[in-house]
Amino acid sequence: MAKEKKPPVLPEAGQWPDKVAPVALVAGAVLTTIGFLLTFLWVPPVVGASVNGAALIGDSMVTQQLLLSQKIFYFHMPVALVSFIALVFAAYYGIRFLATRNARFDACSKVAMEISLLFIIMTMITGEMWTRFEWGVWWTWEPRLTTYLILMLIVIAYFILRNAVDEPERCSVYAAVVSIVALIDVPICFMITRLIPSSVHPVVLREGGMTADMGICLAVVLVGMLAVGFALYRARFGQVRLGQRVEALKDALEEN
Amino acid sequence: MDPILAEIYSTILPSAPYVIAAYALIWVALLVYVLMIMRGTKKATAQIALLEEEVQEKLGKDE
Repeated sequence: MAKEKKPPVLPEAGQWPDKVAPVALVAGAVLTTIGFLLTFLWVPPVVGASVNGAALIGDSMVTQQLLLSQKIFYFHMPVALVSFIALVFAAYYGIRFLATRNARFDACSKVAMEISLLFIIMTMITGEMWTRFEWGVWWTWEPRLTTYLILMLIVIAYFILRNAVDEPERCSVYAAVVSIVALIDVPICFMITRLIPSSVHPVVLREGGMTADMGICLAVVLVGMLAVGFALYRARFGQVRLGQRVEALKDALEEN
Repeated sequence: MDPILAEIYSTILPSAPYVIAAYALIWVALLVYVLMIMRGTKKATAQIALLEEEVQEKLGKDE
């Protein structure tokens, strides 16, 4: 006897992830706060250029300048990783939309792209602050910066495209393709520091790239930011679905 | 202050505004997005209330 194929469960507001989202938001707030405290109170400052002599600070002899600006890294890198992860989900839902032509997946993809743009903006802001202080410039055409800028422009282009195309299905198809193109830039952006080594963006996710305390702090912030991103995604998705239901109701009323 | 200590700490104070700005702007960006979601949800909820009234009126007329 042939089994009947079950229809796929469509993402909808009010499903189990919405029950997890408030917990994720609280967890995200707590973890990022802990990460913030660890950054400034627990992880020792990274040292920079050598000074002419040595001085006793606490119980250790210090012979180099202390770099407070490096503390930006503990939030800069996690928000960048969350922007990549959001793009993976955007492309996943884009592919599911192309396979099924169900508008629900397009809505999911659009919201994931929004979350990605939000975290890209946060990455850019923190990166700019670092660049401005350490290098004395607001921008430098360094490989990682350039590939990440391209990624940001693709994501912005995604939203421009959505507003430019009137026909809904065509708009969703184009948007899904752009979300996949954006995903292609993610590994390029991630691997570029390995392919073209740069002093601005050292490779840190490898053995010896970070000390254990730096890694713990980074992991705490990363998990916190992931939780915040997930909670925001669900909140925005709920709002988008509410808007879609309002429009459907309006249409139904106009027809009757 | 000891001149060596002064040199060691020389990068701390000048970088502080940038570090503070980086952390503050992260939370500003998140807050703006949360406010946008809240505003959108409030608007949609208000529209649903209006639509419900309209449906009630229509049902009243039909009866």
